[in-house]
Amino acid sequence: MVSAVPTKNLADWHSPSTRPEPIHELIHGVDRYNPSNLPFMEEYLNTQVREGDYDIFANLAILKLYQFNPQHSNPDIIVHILIKALSATVHGPDFNLCLGLLKEPSAIIQDIESDDESLVAIIPFLQNLHELSRTCQFTKFWKELNGESEAANAIRTRYLPQHASPLDTLRAIFSTSAAASFSRISLNQLSRWLDFSSVDETKAWCDKVGWTVQGEQAEVPKNGDNDVKAGVVKENVQLSQLSKLVAAAAY
Amino acid sequence: MADPTAFYEPSEDDLLSSLAVPVQQQYNPEADADEYRRLQELEQHAYEQGQLMAAEQEQEQLAALEQVPEDVKRFLVLFHQAILENDLPTITNMYEQGWNKLTQAHYSQNEWPEAELISPLVQNDQVFLTLYRELYFRHVYAKLQPTIDDRFQSYENICELFNYLLNSERPVPLDLPIQWLWDMLDEFVYQFSSFASWRASPKNKSEEELEALAEAQNIWSCYSVLNVLYSLIQKSQINEQLKAEKEGKTAEEVAEIAGEYGSKPLYRNLGYFSLICLLRVHVLLGDPTLALQTMEHVDLSGNAFLTRITACHVTTYYHIGCAYMALGRWPDAIKTFISVLIFFIRMKQYHTRSYQYGSITKQCERMYALLAICTTLSPGPSDESIMSIVKEHYADQLAILQRGGDEALETFKDLYLSACPKYLNVNPPPYEDPSALETHLANPPIDATQRHLDLFLSDVTAVRGVSNIRNLLKLYTSIDAGKLAAFSSEEEQEEEILQHLMVLKAASRTYGKVQGEGSLLDGDRIVTNNLDFTIDGSMVHVEETTSHRRFAGFFIRNAEHAQRVFNTIRSSPLPIQRKTATGGAGQTAGAGAGGNEKPKAAAWQPKRARVVAQ
Repeated sequence: MVSAVPTKNLADWHSPSTRPEPIHELIHGVDRYNPSNLPFMEEYLNTQVREGDYDIFANLAILKLYQFNPQHSNPDIIVHILIKALSATVHGPDFNLCLGLLKEPSAIIQDIESDDESLVAIIPFLQNLHELSRTCQFTKFWKELNGESEAANAIRTRYLPQHASPLDTLRAIFSTSAAASFSRISLNQLSRWLDFSSVDETKAWCDKVGWTVQGEQAEVPKNGDNDVKAGVVKENVQLSQLSKLVAAAAY
Repeated sequence: MADPTAFYEPSEDDLLSSLAVPVQQQYNPEADADEYRRLQELEQHAYEQGQLMAAEQEQEQLAALEQVPEDVKRFLVLFHQAILENDLPTITNMYEQGWNKLTQAHYSQNEWPEAELISPLVQNDQVFLTLYRELYFRHVYAKLQPTIDDRFQSYENICELFNYLLNSERPVPLDLPIQWLWDMLDEFVYQFSSFASWRASPKNKSEEELEALAEAQNIWSCYSVLNVLYSLIQKSQINEQLKAEKEGKTAEEVAEIAGEYGSKPLYRNLGYFSLICLLRVHVLLGDPTLALQTMEHVDLSGNAFLTRITACHVTTYYHIGCAYMALGRWPDAIKTFISVLIFFIRMKQYHTRSYQYGSITKQCERMYALLAICTTLSPGPSDESIMSIVKEHYADQLAILQRGGDEALETFKDLYLSACPKYLNVNPPPYEDPSALETHLANPPIDATQRHLDLFLSDVTAVRGVSNIRNLLKLYTSIDAGKLAAFSSEEEQEEEILQHLMVLKAASRTYGKVQGEGSLLDGDRIVTNNLDFTIDGSMVHVEETTSHRRFAGFFIRNAEHAQRVFNTIRSSPLPIQRKTATGGAGQTAGAGAGGNEKPKAAAWQPKRARVVAQ
C-alpha cells in the first residue's frame, strides 16, 4: 500500500530511518569534504535508486563534494540525484536545494572534459518538469515526460529504468498533493493527472492508496487537509503567564 | 603570555592537517631536499648582504618611530602590558575605546604604523604584533581601500594567529574579551567574502594582480577558510560541550568533555563563534541545510550566549532567516527576523559604542525588506509593531507585491537583491591557466547571487496565481470550479482551476519549527492561512477560520503594570503632615498642596509618587 498523506513532520526528511550509521557520521563530520569518500557516497545513492529510498542530505553532500572538486563531477549521479529530488516531493524545496549547489550544465561538462553533452539538455528539461510539478500541472508533466524530445528519451531509457518503480513514486506524490485538497475526485480527472489510460488502472491505483471508488468518483479518506472546518481560534492563556498576578494576589 | 620565541612558524601542512584536502602535488622528499639546500645557499648569501642593510634600516626605522605620535606609543605600550597580564577589563576598555579614539585622532585617512615599526615598543613580542596586525588590517578594510598586498598579508597574518592558537603544545595562556574574539572571526569571514567576490571577476585587474592571483591559489580559498573554522570547532570540542550543557550535565562534567583546550574561555569562545561563522559561510556558498545543521547544538533562546554581542546576535538570526527562506519555510523566517528586530529596537538606546553599529543597522534594514517578501508569500498575523515599520519603509513595494503580476515579480527581484546575502562561488576563475581564463572572460559563468535569485524567483512564480484565487474564494462559502474558471481573467478550463487550487492548498501549508523542541531543521506541518477549502468533486467548499481578538496579553500586561504602580506607591514614604499657621490641625498634605503652599509641597514629593498622583 502506498501512502498518499503528507508527512506530519520533517524528522524523516533530515534523518531518514533507512540511513546507515556510517553515512550519518560522515555527513555530520568534517569528513564530508574528503573527496576520497565519493565512491562510498555514490554507492549509497545507487542503493537509494535501486531500493527506492531517499536521503536528500546525503545527496546534497555528494553535490557539495562536486562543488569543491568539479573535476570529480559525475553527470549520471547528478541526474539521478535530481530525479530523486523531483520524485520525492511536489512542493518541497529539495529540487532547488540541489540546483543551488550545481553549476550550469555546460560548465560541469567542461570541468570533467567530457564529450557527452546530453546533460546540457537534461538539466533544463528536469527543471521544466519540476516547475510543472510544483504548479500541479500534472497532465502537462506527463506529456513532457512521455514526449519525443531528446532529453525525455534519455531520461526514460537511460535513467528511469534504474529506479525502483519511478512512475508509481511520481503518482504517489501527485496523489498526495490531490489528497490534500479533494474529499472526492472524479476518476476521469484522476486518470489524466496520474497518466492512466484506462479507468480500470485508475481504480486499481485508488485501491492501492486506500481510496474508495464510488461510481465515477473516488472518495479520499479524511486526512486533516481535505476535511477542514471553519474554526474559531480562541485565546489560550497558560498558567505560567499568570504567575506574577497569582503571586501578587497571594499576598 | 607565551614566550615570544616559542611563537609558532606556520606551515601550509599544519594548517591543512585536520581537514582532508585533495592533494594537489605529490610529496617528493628528494626534490624537497635539493630545494632545501639551494634555499640554504641563497639564505647564506642574503644574510651577508642583509647584515649591511640591517644597520641602515634600523636607523631608518628608529627615525620613523620618532614620527609616531606620543599618545599612540603610550597606548601601544600599555595595551601590550594589559595583554601580557590578561587584564580583561583594561583590554576591553582599550580595545573598544582607546583604539577607536586614536584612530579618529590620527588615522582616519591613513594606516596605523606598520607592525615592524612599533616592534621595539613591545620588545618584539610576535604574538602581540600579530594581534596588532589583525587590528591594523581591519582598520584598512574599514576605512581605506585594501590593496592586493593588504589582502594577502591580512590572510597570512590571521592564519599565523590561528596556527599559533591551534598548534601550540598546550593551550596558550592568552585571554581576550569576547567582543574582540567575535570581531576577529567576523572580520575573517568578511575579508574572505570580500576577497572572493573581488577575485570572482577577472576584469579590471592589473597585470601584477593577475599574476599574484595565479600564484596564490590557496589564499582565502574556501577550503582554507572552512579549515580554520572547523579546526577551531574541533579543538574546542564546542559541539560536545553544548550538547552536554543541553543535557544538563554539571560544570565539572562539561569541563571534562571540553578537554584541556575547550575548557579555556579563549578556545571555547572561538569555537562557539566559529559555529556561527560557519553558518554564515554555508549560507554564502548556497547550502542552507548544512548551515542549519551546523547550528544543531547552539542554544537560540532569548538569553543565549550569542545575544551578549549584538552584532553576533543580528548576524546569526539574519542568516538563519535566509536559510529558512531558501527552504520555503516562510513563517519560520518571519519569526526569526521579527525576534531579532524586536531585540534590536529595544537595544538601540543602549548601544552606541560599537564601531559596527552602522553595519548592524544595515543588516536590520535588510531584514525589513526580507520581511516584506516573506509576509507577502505567507500572509498571516505577525508582530504589529515590526510590521508597521515594514509598511512604513516599503509601502509602495508591498502594494505592488500584493497586486501580483509581472510588476510584482520585478519588485520581488529588487527587494531580494537589495537584502539577500552576497552569495559566493566556490571556485575562482582559472587564473593559473591563461587560455582557460580567456574562455572564462568570453563566456563568464552565472554569478552566484544571480543563480540564487533565479531559484528564489522560481519559488515566487510557482505561487503567483495564489493570491488572486484566494481573494476570489473569500467571497463564497461554496462555488463550482467551472464557475470559478469563468471568473478568472484568462480562458481557463476547470482542470486548470483545480490545479491552481491545489497550489493554493500547498501554499497555505508548510513545516514550522515547534518552539523549544528539536533542532532548527525539525518542523511540524502547519497551516499558515485562515482561508481553507475542500473540493468535493468539482464543488469547492470554503471555510474561513476566524480568530478572536486577543485580550489576555493586554490585560495581563496592564494588571502587572498596575501592580507595579501600586507597589511603588505603597513603598514610598508617607507625606509628612505640616502644621501651618493658617491651616487647621487636621489638614492633609493633599489639601495643603491645593492651597497657596503648592510650591513648598512639591519640593518634598517623591518623583514617582508625583507621577502616579497625576
